[in-house]
Amino acid sequence: MTARSLKMPGAHMSALIPLLAVLAAFAVGLLLIVATGASLGQALSAFSQGAFGSSYAISVSLNRATVYALVGIGFVLSARAGLTNVGGEGQIAMGGIAATAVALQPGIADLPLGLAVIIPVLAACLAGGLWGGLAGFLKVRAGTNEVISTLLLSFIAIWLVYWCVQSVDLLRQPMSSGTTLPESSTVPESTMLPLLTGSYASPVTVGVVIAVVLALVAAVVLSRSTFGFDLRFVGLNPVAAARAGIPVERMTILALFLAGALGGLAGAAMLLGEQHSLKTGFSSGYGFDGLVVGLLARGRISGVIAGALLFGFLRSGGITMEMAAGVPTALVQVVQGLIVVAIAGAAYWMDRRPG
Amino acid sequence: MTEELFAVFIASTIRLATPLLLAAIGELLSEKAGVLNMSIEGMMLTGAFAAATGAALSGSPMIGLVCGMVAVIPLSLLQAFLTNTLRANQIVTGLGINILVLGGTTLGYRELFGARSREVIPGFDKWDPPLLGDIPVVGETIFEQVWLVYLTLPVALLAWYVLTRTGLGVAIKAAGAAPRTVQNSGLSVTLIRYGVTLVTGLLAALGGIFLSIGDIHTFTEGMTNGAGYLAIAAVIFGNWRLGQTIIACLVFGAATALQFQLPALGINAPNALLIMMPYLLAFIAVSGLVGRQSAPKTLAQPYWPR
Amino acid sequence: MTVGIAPEAAAPAGMTGGRAPEGDMSVGARFAMQGVGKRFGSFDALADVSIAFHGGEVHCLLGENGAGKSTLCNMIFGVHRPSAGSMQLEGAAYAPDGPRDALEQGIAMVHQHFSLVNELTVVDNLLLGRTLGRVDRTAYAARMAELSELYGLALEPYRTVGDLSIGERQRVEIVKCLMLEPTLLILDEPTAVLLPDEIKALMETCSRVAAQGTAVVLVTHKLAEIKQVAHRVSVLRAGRIVTTSDNAADDIDRLVGAMIGRDALAEGEAIPGLSAAPRQSAKSRAAAQATGDLALMVDGVSFADATGAKRLDNVTLTVRPGEIVGIAGVEGNGQSELGAILAGLARPSAGRWFAGNSELTQASPKQITAAGVGIVPEDRHLVAAADDMTLAETILNNRMRLHARFGLIDRRSVTREAEGLIDRFDIRTAGSDVRFGSLSGGNQQKAVLARELTMPGLRFLLAAQPTRGLDVGAVAAVYGLIRDACTQGAGVLLISSELDEILAVADRVLVIYRGGIVNERPADPAHKEAIGAMMAGQKP
Repeated sequence: MTARSLKMPGAHMSALIPLLAVLAAFAVGLLLIVATGASLGQALSAFSQGAFGSSYAISVSLNRATVYALVGIGFVLSARAGLTNVGGEGQIAMGGIAATAVALQPGIADLPLGLAVIIPVLAACLAGGLWGGLAGFLKVRAGTNEVISTLLLSFIAIWLVYWCVQSVDLLRQPMSSGTTLPESSTVPESTMLPLLTGSYASPVTVGVVIAVVLALVAAVVLSRSTFGFDLRFVGLNPVAAARAGIPVERMTILALFLAGALGGLAGAAMLLGEQHSLKTGFSSGYGFDGLVVGLLARGRISGVIAGALLFGFLRSGGITMEMAAGVPTALVQVVQGLIVVAIAGAAYWMDRRPG
Repeated sequence: MTEELFAVFIASTIRLATPLLLAAIGELLSEKAGVLNMSIEGMMLTGAFAAATGAALSGSPMIGLVCGMVAVIPLSLLQAFLTNTLRANQIVTGLGINILVLGGTTLGYRELFGARSREVIPGFDKWDPPLLGDIPVVGETIFEQVWLVYLTLPVALLAWYVLTRTGLGVAIKAAGAAPRTVQNSGLSVTLIRYGVTLVTGLLAALGGIFLSIGDIHTFTEGMTNGAGYLAIAAVIFGNWRLGQTIIACLVFGAATALQFQLPALGINAPNALLIMMPYLLAFIAVSGLVGRQSAPKTLAQPYWPR
Repeated sequence: MTVGIAPEAAAPAGMTGGRAPEGDMSVGARFAMQGVGKRFGSFDALADVSIAFHGGEVHCLLGENGAGKSTLCNMIFGVHRPSAGSMQLEGAAYAPDGPRDALEQGIAMVHQHFSLVNELTVVDNLLLGRTLGRVDRTAYAARMAELSELYGLALEPYRTVGDLSIGERQRVEIVKCLMLEPTLLILDEPTAVLLPDEIKALMETCSRVAAQGTAVVLVTHKLAEIKQVAHRVSVLRAGRIVTTSDNAADDIDRLVGAMIGRDALAEGEAIPGLSAAPRQSAKSRAAAQATGDLALMVDGVSFADATGAKRLDNVTLTVRPGEIVGIAGVEGNGQSELGAILAGLARPSAGRWFAGNSELTQASPKQITAAGVGIVPEDRHLVAAADDMTLAETILNNRMRLHARFGLIDRRSVTREAEGLIDRFDIRTAGSDVRFGSLSGGNQQKAVLARELTMPGLRFLLAAQPTRGLDVGAVAAVYGLIRDACTQGAGVLLISSELDEILAVADRVLVIYRGGIVNERPADPAHKEAIGAMMAGQKP
């Protein structure tokens, strides 16, 4: 993925083509609903009910979109430096582990001034960041392709979660009976992310606000700051960037660290905001969906927000559609897959060719 | 460990390694030619699903096998078209196709089989090879396998033969290392890469077919469950060499087999570590901590002919 | 190096000196062309070229960079199609529709850049593309051994090409060509990358190939090679054949004169456009020179590449403030490596270098810039800029921090400074926010100069091939800017493969050959021939 300047000619094209791809994929989705024999009207009404039919539904969709947005912002950030971070899934997982582990530490829950939440969240950022930064370090040191390393690190992290909740020596809750589930204890209430409304009827967490703020910060950093300039320079031409005095290797590690930290933060938001206890596969699919959101954004933070909302509501609606109208939620996956494939192929017309 | 338990362990290692071997040999051919075929997961799942469907509808596992092989061809061509003709990002394309196939097969399964999940589907029976099967203790346990297991041997030999003894093999390796030189020699890089993608698809589908109608005689949603990624990890851990890739698959198979064996032996090793092991080994291999990595030079880079 | 050896095979008996009449030239020739021209856009790369190559002969093509030698070879090999004229092979009309076609008709070419697969063995490289079925490596190895024996090309068949030296790799290329049993073999500057012993062996091979009846075309800059093997020499200058000789050993002076364009020199307008910039006399500038530190001191710097081959060998040179020192040399003699070291993109394997009183041997690009060193690199798209950035970003790419507060860039301030520099350096553009890559070469180079010359405390400027690919007006402007920098007290090192350019601009000239400085001369047209000969490897 090439990061592009905001003033590139043909910028409108790179916004139009994803839009067309999304619309075409939706059309296929509608056809598939009809093909399954379900009532289109019923399916759509179930979908909209699940996506934004109630304040609860909207809250769930927004919480989901938050995770996608954080991973997507990280993807765009590292893509600006010419790096493809496909490790969002593992970075979320590492964030979730760290948030749980720290939140369950004795004494943390009693910290004043919101530190009971802030410290686990920062720990999650650090864990995710190290997981991403490790890939950057290997790229600089051994030339390891970051796609391969972040992918492998994702699988390792996913099974680390499994390990943590399987072993009482790690994070598994005390075994009180043979039926004790393989998951961590619930984190103390004071370490949970505060709800914006204060009511579980609409459980949208403060994570949404954090994501919006970070999106604004990222947009400004990428377009206005010297750091954003350096990132873009490294991505466009590392040799010339080095000649201009930019520490290319440090930027490479930092870019992947930041992407990882955002993934870790997403993990903390899931864990401390909604799930409250660590379970196997808690990150399932979120990282890859976030990656897709980042790809669709084509380097723009505004695109990340749009994509995150789209997929957040799409997934939530899809789940209700399955329950209420009998249309499998897999349909949403088909639509998503089509969007990705279409956009990947459309890059042929959007990107300049080398040489 | 008793002899019998050991024989069971060997047998399940081979059985669990079979789909990996088929897929990884295909993936190796692809990567040698410079194509990082991430969609191998989706290709396996397509094979598994189409074979299950074909076998269930016709009642014949052989027809199921043909269905699985045929179904993967358009998918392979799509992957090849996107990455070779449109020069799309190979990773993104692969991930997209995997999501698409996961959704598509799940949807298709629900439509065709309804809620009757894990329905038993006609599949291949185990085969007792003459002579080998007569060996006491190990004969029955190890060698009584579905014939697809034995197919991996000629597949591996053929791959070895092509890569080391034919001009095609030289061309495939050159296409991944120096595509421009291949073009200068009068061959078409695009054609070679289309070809390997197609072959990879067929081999991956065979791996998927083994999973559904060879091994467990049913289809479950997303049943490949990362086997495709495991095959990619095997190629990486195998340092892009055929022999080492095969060993990697067997090691990965053994790690999975141990998950079931160790508790039976009363050994309390963390299960998660065994599951994680393949990825951990592959990661250590790519991290440059041990030995020199010899990834094909233009792996995952699209080629623009002059 | 042995000089004046008579070629051992197929002596050009009966040939008289001077240029043969055109009608006779192609009689019995293996290959001939008449009145061939090649136009790229509005640029005539070749004009009215008539030449013939005979079986059993080594025919050398001599000429400076950009004289059209490679274009000529590529045309014969089917890469380019002629815009005018005709070609014949064995007397029949020849119009290949691509390299593949040329190969099938018996014409093979060894390119400057090897087309080998480093990961494969020698034998596998030889058989790539020959068959897709089962391969008999033993047969290929045997055939290779035969050719090796016949032509003196020692090679081990089962070694990996990536482990071979440059010279051995070239032998693989040559064997690859010879396996096709060509009737015409073209070697495009094959010795540019070779070590002396390897060159000697290659010349031997050329002679032997010709002795087997093949027509051999050897493109070169080096006089010693010509003396050693050529049966015939043709000199190209500015896309035309300016002279031909059948007796190179005795004709060297005339050939050198033709190659560097003695006639043009006499007219005092060797490079059009240069006279547009007023030339300050070296003496008056010398008077203005500060007596303090040197602008640049390079002390015994050597550099070995990844394969261990020495690309720079104990280079020592100094540049005083206010002085322009030219480095003359055929490309590939270590200039790029010297440029990379001074830019901070490579570290010397031995020796030290200083700008003013700061040692910069191990310095980062940032420290080098801070020490007042400006760099105009030979490849601006790779080293000086990112094509996808805007012009303003490119001009200020090493000092964005000066326009930032709390890490945020003040765009108005950037635009203001950039526009000021765009005016001052006369960069013709629609605005400061156009894409750098969309500018013409001349304007791109001016933008790079605008950045490198306006650094605070500039004390030394490296200008590597600064006018390559620029049009006449831009050339004059670039040199005007470089001279201005000198007037203000900076020392300049000018690396150029255009000797005329160096003579017109520099105060003194260092000649680089095989990674070493071989001699120093004043930048006086009177020394042009001597310099030209040294560039081609003649001992001073």
